[in-house]
Amino acid sequence: MRFHLPSALRKWAGDREVIEMSLPLDLRMTIVEAFEMLGRDYPGIRQRVLDDQGNIRRHVNVFVDGENVRFTNGNATQVTHASEVRIYPAMSGG
Amino acid sequence: METATRISPHSGDIILMVGTVKGAFIFHSDRRRADFQIAGPYFKGMEVFSTAYLPDKKSPRMLVGNKSQHWGSTVSWSDDFGASWHEPAEGNVKFPAASGLSLNAIWALEPAPLVGPDVVFAGADPAALYRSDDRGETFRPNDALLNHAERPYWMPGFGGLCLHTVMPHPRDPKRIMVGISSAGIYRSDDGGESWTRRNHGIRMDNDGPPNAPHFRPQCAHKMRYDAKNPSRIYLQNHPGYYRSDDGGDSWVDIRNGLPSEFGFPMVAHPSRADTAFVIPLTSDNFRAPIEGAAKVWRTRDAGETWTPLGKGLPQHDAYFSVLRDAFIADPLDPAGLYFGTRGGTLFASSDEGESWRSIADWLPAVLCVKAAVVA
Repeated sequence: MRFHLPSALRKWAGDREVIEMSLPLDLRMTIVEAFEMLGRDYPGIRQRVLDDQGNIRRHVNVFVDGENVRFTNGNATQVTHASEVRIYPAMSGG
Repeated sequence: METATRISPHSGDIILMVGTVKGAFIFHSDRRRADFQIAGPYFKGMEVFSTAYLPDKKSPRMLVGNKSQHWGSTVSWSDDFGASWHEPAEGNVKFPAASGLSLNAIWALEPAPLVGPDVVFAGADPAALYRSDDRGETFRPNDALLNHAERPYWMPGFGGLCLHTVMPHPRDPKRIMVGISSAGIYRSDDGGESWTRRNHGIRMDNDGPPNAPHFRPQCAHKMRYDAKNPSRIYLQNHPGYYRSDDGGDSWVDIRNGLPSEFGFPMVAHPSRADTAFVIPLTSDNFRAPIEGAAKVWRTRDAGETWTPLGKGLPQHDAYFSVLRDAFIADPLDPAGLYFGTRGGTLFASSDEGESWRSIADWLPAVLCVKAAVVA
């Protein structure tokens, strides 16, 4: 499973753009559970993607295999060992 | 760590920490306060709701409560006057999972040296009080206020449900007062173990929420202790100006000729008794100086009478507002006064409000200003 980080979050991952997380082939989990697992090694990523209740922050877009989870199953979106996760800050005005 | 411009102040210099909707700035002057230099922006693009300065001579520290629209809020610190900033990877002001709440913003940062040399309190949105015992690096919530029986009746205002004011008592380490919009003023006399609402005497225009019509939540905008008598407290309420002479047990109306009842900040003189400053705005519905003429009003008799001060401030076509934490005094004598506007101007007075000048004209909207003397 690979996480692609936006530039603003890379300082919390040793300046890396991509983090690879090894998972058993048959493991299924939600995207939120995947971020919690990632947070064991990279707490700075978890803290900035999930809020205090473990929900994906309102102005963060997370894509799993090309689909924005906001338009699929949200926090409950399923991921596997092969998932490609991309994190984008939402566009904002002002 | 974020590298940024630093300042190099000398002992006795004045620094202003200014939080805006797009980052923080530091202004620096010698104690004559004739020429301020600007450094920053720090935390570019973030809202900076709160700042604090911990004036340890060997290791002074600046704290900033910042909010990224994307990545959340945290307290960051600098031990080198802004050259570098630090924050923990895992964050530091966080709500427990069982609370069902998530941090939106950090509205207040208040050192409490009488409580402990390294103690800093933080006020949060949603309304909660946090305490740090390591100079702002880690925080833990005050459970008694977090689980207060009246919490279900608290109602968010336009700015959220925020605990915006934290007032550790200057002589009694067990007494703390907080202001919550919209709930009111709460005080603890036992070091935060319990909290009681202290709104008696404050006019309330509306009933409480449907689930508690008796509750009548107040929107206290800002409270300050009198310089000499901490039982005396001044309050800018959402509607009205009040004073308490019994530590908040009761409040009396001190509008006494002020031109409106609406405003946000309240500033007490740092060393002179009975002296305070307010910036009245037209009304709740039109938050701008009255008839476009900006004035600070001063009392020297604890609110019995008020005097307008406008020399150097725009006296026509001025329609900015000044938020609750954007007006402050420095501790010098004569006291310096500073306020920032939502239009991005930072005004300063070196003579206790008698005359004013702009020291920055084009900042982002100003959310907060703090002043300190470097030890």
